[in-house]
Amino acid sequence: MHKLIPLIRVGALATATVFALQAGAQSPQPIKIGVAVGLSGANSVVAPAVVQSSQYAVDEINAAGGILGRKVQLEIVDDASGAVGAQKAFDTLVFQKKVDAVIAMETSAARNAALPTITRGKVPYIYTSFYEGRSCNPWMYVNAWVPEQQVAPVVDYFSVALKAHNFFLVGNDYAFGRGMLEFTRKTIEKAGGKVVGEEYLPMDGSDWTAVLSKIRAAKADALISATAGGAPNVSLAKQLQSSGLNIPYANLAIDEGTARSMGDVAAGMYMSSSYLTTIATPENKAFIAGMTKRFGGDLKTPNELSEPQYEAFYLYKAAVEQAKSTDPALVIKALAGVSFVGPRGEIRMNKNRHTPLPMRLGRIQADGSITILQTFQGVDPGVQCPLLK
Amino acid sequence: MNLLLDILTTASVLFIVTAGLTMIFGVMKIVNFAHGALLTLGAYASVVVTQLKLSPWLGLPLALLAGVAAGMLIEALIVRPLYRRPLDAILATWGLGIIIGQLIIFFFGREVQFAQSPIKGALALAGTEYSAYRLALVPLALVLCAGLSFLLTGTRFGIKTRAVIMNEDLASGLGIHAGRIRFVTFSVGAALATGAGMLITPLSSVDPGMGLTWLVGAFMLVMVSGQSMWSLLLTCLVFGACQVVVSTWASPVLGSLTIPLFAAVALRIRPQGVARA
Repeated sequence: MHKLIPLIRVGALATATVFALQAGAQSPQPIKIGVAVGLSGANSVVAPAVVQSSQYAVDEINAAGGILGRKVQLEIVDDASGAVGAQKAFDTLVFQKKVDAVIAMETSAARNAALPTITRGKVPYIYTSFYEGRSCNPWMYVNAWVPEQQVAPVVDYFSVALKAHNFFLVGNDYAFGRGMLEFTRKTIEKAGGKVVGEEYLPMDGSDWTAVLSKIRAAKADALISATAGGAPNVSLAKQLQSSGLNIPYANLAIDEGTARSMGDVAAGMYMSSSYLTTIATPENKAFIAGMTKRFGGDLKTPNELSEPQYEAFYLYKAAVEQAKSTDPALVIKALAGVSFVGPRGEIRMNKNRHTPLPMRLGRIQADGSITILQTFQGVDPGVQCPLLK
Repeated sequence: MNLLLDILTTASVLFIVTAGLTMIFGVMKIVNFAHGALLTLGAYASVVVTQLKLSPWLGLPLALLAGVAAGMLIEALIVRPLYRRPLDAILATWGLGIIIGQLIIFFFGREVQFAQSPIKGALALAGTEYSAYRLALVPLALVLCAGLSFLLTGTRFGIKTRAVIMNEDLASGLGIHAGRIRFVTFSVGAALATGAGMLITPLSSVDPGMGLTWLVGAFMLVMVSGQSMWSLLLTCLVFGACQVVVSTWASPVLGSLTIPLFAAVALRIRPQGVARA
């Protein structure tokens, strides 16, 4: 057995030499960017749109000559929508595929599980999903919204434009629901409004009868909800609509796709978002037209989770070009300074690794489309990671 | 006034959802864990009707039809050999529930579906606005209760059914076709479940897991009430009232605990249920 080892060593050395020679003879190595996404599991509803956004960004960048003359190569790995899967996926990307950067949306649990891998591998990571805020890592940047940015436009519009004073808050009894509404309460009180009631239903609860009666009894003049996505969101909207309660209602947990699938049940609902397909900028129109041309009938509607993915590739490109290298430490330094004007507007991740964002307050129409009522430019993410420069 | 309406309508919803289970579990003593999946199946009848752009009312006959068909198939293929093996029936119906759920995912996908509601808007009633659909469920529950009660106690079919459940050998000896009675009763129960599923779509999200949230509560109510429809109505009224009052005066999180909690207490005091004196 021992005699074999030197033989293997020689063999490995020879193979490595051949590869090295080949590589030297060819065009420069591509830049590998890893995308971990939930192709299976709960995120599989949104994953195809995320993959398309990534492919489209890479195609565009390569067609324009790549980054520093090097082509970009996409490495897509399934994270099974969960923490364990994300750990494996990031491990594969960082240590086997040896990617130069990771650009990925993840659930908060999956992100927290995967971050140690990023730290160990020292790979720049751009996180592209909105989340509850204050996740800090020297190798991570975030280009999506945090509660500070999503809640403020709603409260602002309700109290200024609609003159609402008495707010009622409704949510599901879990971390996101409680966290969002606690933050909403603070924002309302800061704006001079009053919270006249706050009620929660368990995640699997579907009967909002008593809650609706309380809203009526409290004489609230505006309602803000942070339920779990999907079922509780729909049951609340249905029961609210048929109850005859006619007060402005903002939903912090609804996205464009869900609004469309709910038909006229969501009509009149307010929502706050950084990306909507109806944004009327030339950048967004070009983005939608380009995506439609590239994917045709297979196009998955771009959304709040898939569009930041597109912008993140350009932010990484700008950082590498500024650093004139893919060296992780240099790229991380450069990422704080670069900016990209994308479909959402200008993105510059210079606030504690987070970015000020243009936020849109939209109202859902009877046909499921969303009218943008007001755009709030450069909404600040607040203090997120004060210890990271 | 609002509280009273909340109580009445909540009790009606509970009754409609549990009536089918009373036929199968209360009367036939089959622990039917597929009840949740049958509710879901009925709700998807509404989705089909909506997708075909037909009147939402047509969802009800379609749901009943689907329920009868599913009930006949399930009785003949799965439940029939298990009447004397109740523990196996629990496993079989639980598995069946999973299969129905997966078939729904296969055909319709995992996501939330949209279904038109047959009655929209609110009615002005005694100085307050109230959901017209919820109000419509109150007379519906009463009619359903009276009808089923008559079927079980006032018709030959009902007498035969009870005879078969009480003593199958004796009933067969008297010339009652026990197999056919069970077949029909199970199918009626399944159709009541799918019909209820269609009726709750205007209040609930339509997704593959929707029926499951009703299952445990439904079993509790049927266990407490026993086999009579009127006692089921009474149980739904009492428990629904407790749920609404606790939700209103304390918190909805506690409110959702009232049915399991009170059912446990009621069964401790009266293990045989209300209607099994």
